Amino acid sequence: MRLYEYEGKKLFSEFKIPIPKGEVVSSASEAVTAAKAVGGPVVLKSQVLTGGRGKAGGIKVVENPNDVKATAEQLFNLKIKGYKVEKVLVEPKLNIAKEIYFGVTIDRLNYKLVVIVSGAGGMDIEEVAAKSPEKIHKKLYDIEEPMYGFDAIELSKKCGLDSEQTKQAAPILQGLFRLFKKYDAKLAEINPLVVTADGKLIAADSRVSLDDDAVFRHPELATMGIEKRHEEGEMTPREQQAHEWEIPYLDLEGNIGMFPGGAGFGIMGNDFIHYYGGTPANFMDSGGGPSPERIAKMLVLLDENPNVKAIFGARFGGISRCDDFAKGVIMFLKDHGLSKPMVMRMTGNMWQEGVRLFEEARKENPKMFERVEAHGIETPIEEISRRAVELAKMAEGK
Amino acid sequence: MAILVHKKSKVLVQGITGGAGSFHAKRMIAYGTNIVGGVTPGKGGQVVEGKPVFDTVTECREATGADTSVIFLPAKFVKEAAIEAIRAGIKFVVVIPEHIPIHDMLYVRKEAVKHGATVIGGNTAGIITPGQANLGIMPDIAFTPGRVGTVSRSGSITYYVADTLTRSGYGESTCVGLGGDPILGSTFDEILQKFEEDPATKAVVMTGEIGGVYEERACDTISKMKTPVIAMIGGIFAPPGKRMGHAGAIVEGKMGTAKEKLEVLASAGAHPARTFKDIPEILSKLRV
Repeated sequence: MRLYEYEGKKLFSEFKIPIPKGEVVSSASEAVTAAKAVGGPVVLKSQVLTGGRGKAGGIKVVENPNDVKATAEQLFNLKIKGYKVEKVLVEPKLNIAKEIYFGVTIDRLNYKLVVIVSGAGGMDIEEVAAKSPEKIHKKLYDIEEPMYGFDAIELSKKCGLDSEQTKQAAPILQGLFRLFKKYDAKLAEINPLVVTADGKLIAADSRVSLDDDAVFRHPELATMGIEKRHEEGEMTPREQQAHEWEIPYLDLEGNIGMFPGGAGFGIMGNDFIHYYGGTPANFMDSGGGPSPERIAKMLVLLDENPNVKAIFGARFGGISRCDDFAKGVIMFLKDHGLSKPMVMRMTGNMWQEGVRLFEEARKENPKMFERVEAHGIETPIEEISRRAVELAKMAEGK
Repeated sequence: MAILVHKKSKVLVQGITGGAGSFHAKRMIAYGTNIVGGVTPGKGGQVVEGKPVFDTVTECREATGADTSVIFLPAKFVKEAAIEAIRAGIKFVVVIPEHIPIHDMLYVRKEAVKHGATVIGGNTAGIITPGQANLGIMPDIAFTPGRVGTVSRSGSITYYVADTLTRSGYGESTCVGLGGDPILGSTFDEILQKFEEDPATKAVVMTGEIGGVYEERACDTISKMKTPVIAMIGGIFAPPGKRMGHAGAIVEGKMGTAKEKLEVLASAGAHPARTFKDIPEILSKLRV
């Protein structure tokens, strides 16, 4: 869960990391009031959950207070990589003497926390790492290990700070490290950490990403107004619908509706369709052990998508049960009806019961199954993929 | 022979009194897995599926000699449960639940390394040595005893690969699910090394997916292995920047694309497969 800059800075304050005295606003008129309160030249910073704000024109320095309204209006009309600007942070313009970088993240290969510092702040740190790796300094920590003061001083010195600056920087780095652990972060960055013309250190920007799976143990975040959110850019209407139903779903550009099992085959099944000359219309993940209702909803998403010309279904029941899967398909056929050809394969946990349910429902209402080609373990999944591509081509009249 | 789990493994189930725990304990026992007991704090003395329940892993271990644990508990209890098992002397821990907090897995991994234990998961379908023991949630139907090992991040892919091996007559020595979570208890290279040391395993199929760093890390091991490795990576056609599937499957910049993973694995000596039916063809060429 990525935090907005202003939210990250709230967490910084808790760990006594100095931040500019700013205010977050939701309209141009609020920006004017906030700018007055801040006084002097200000920076207006669009609050969006993506990098590259500066390059996209999302950060503006305003020297003349009379220009705040117009500039803020401009920002509120901006869309950055698909993200609408809904909030703007108003902060005093800093007199920058030097910019450095402090970051903490997880080294997944070594199962450690990694503290990264650099004297080359204010730039994309990955770019710095690629172009001038000698400017990047790292130290690995066990999850149980604290960061001692002398460690923080040593690391800060590597950024080219003098004694007085190092004295200010070390507790900032320690604070960032403690923040990372306390809030189950995946990433906590200050970039840049500014040394002002009068020698003060201040966190000019924040980038904090928390582990979604650990948010449950930080109820204090909600009291700070930080809540679970959808992190992607704008969603298509179908993605929005799927999101409301809590089904991981993405619209893609092809015409084969993908109705696979879990995420693993959800990803690989899309490759199979490509190998047989087709293109998937979506990515979807049923999650472990989907209920019949969920299965039916997955099919509704595909059947109502006008781009979908044929549906590919696959279920290899592990934790999920084929009888639940069959119930879901039958529920969909009864309540909604299938308007497109579908080829599917069902095997694994409780497959006999799934087949029995299908046969029973088919006897009751053969018409309902007209467009369904159902297969079991005897048909390889490659054949199902090939057939789905063929069905889509036939439907397109090719 | 097999790796990590076999007929004589003495298996306990942490969370055996829960819905998923008891349901799958029954399935595992029906398969012939040597389940010796279960642990649920506060429910010591109960009996589930004919097996005794204990309050602590240490009690269970003392009474039954358990050496292996399968965890069926909500994600937030996994850290404590896994560390308890490892400290009690359990040498192999299977973490079935998904969405384990990342920092928790760092603690679990550290404990495992310290005590020489192996952890797989979270978010794994488990591990099966066909004909001997089935730990987790994998459906029996796909598996048959044989000579090819499999290691995968995905349950469903494991079933497809095993089904292919079963129907082409190779069968499986052991099938290991690493798990789909972003931080895993074990990595491809560690499991591949175990297969390399297993005389019953004549080849290994590893299947990975876009995102993360674990597949790349296997290269060094693969290049040193005598046992041939077939590699398959899901997400070759995944659009960049889109978040597909497992929490672990996020393309991090250029790192972690499926194409790149397959290329580096191939250059380390792995045999790339595109779809499942390529697998028996490659095995036949390798005379496995």
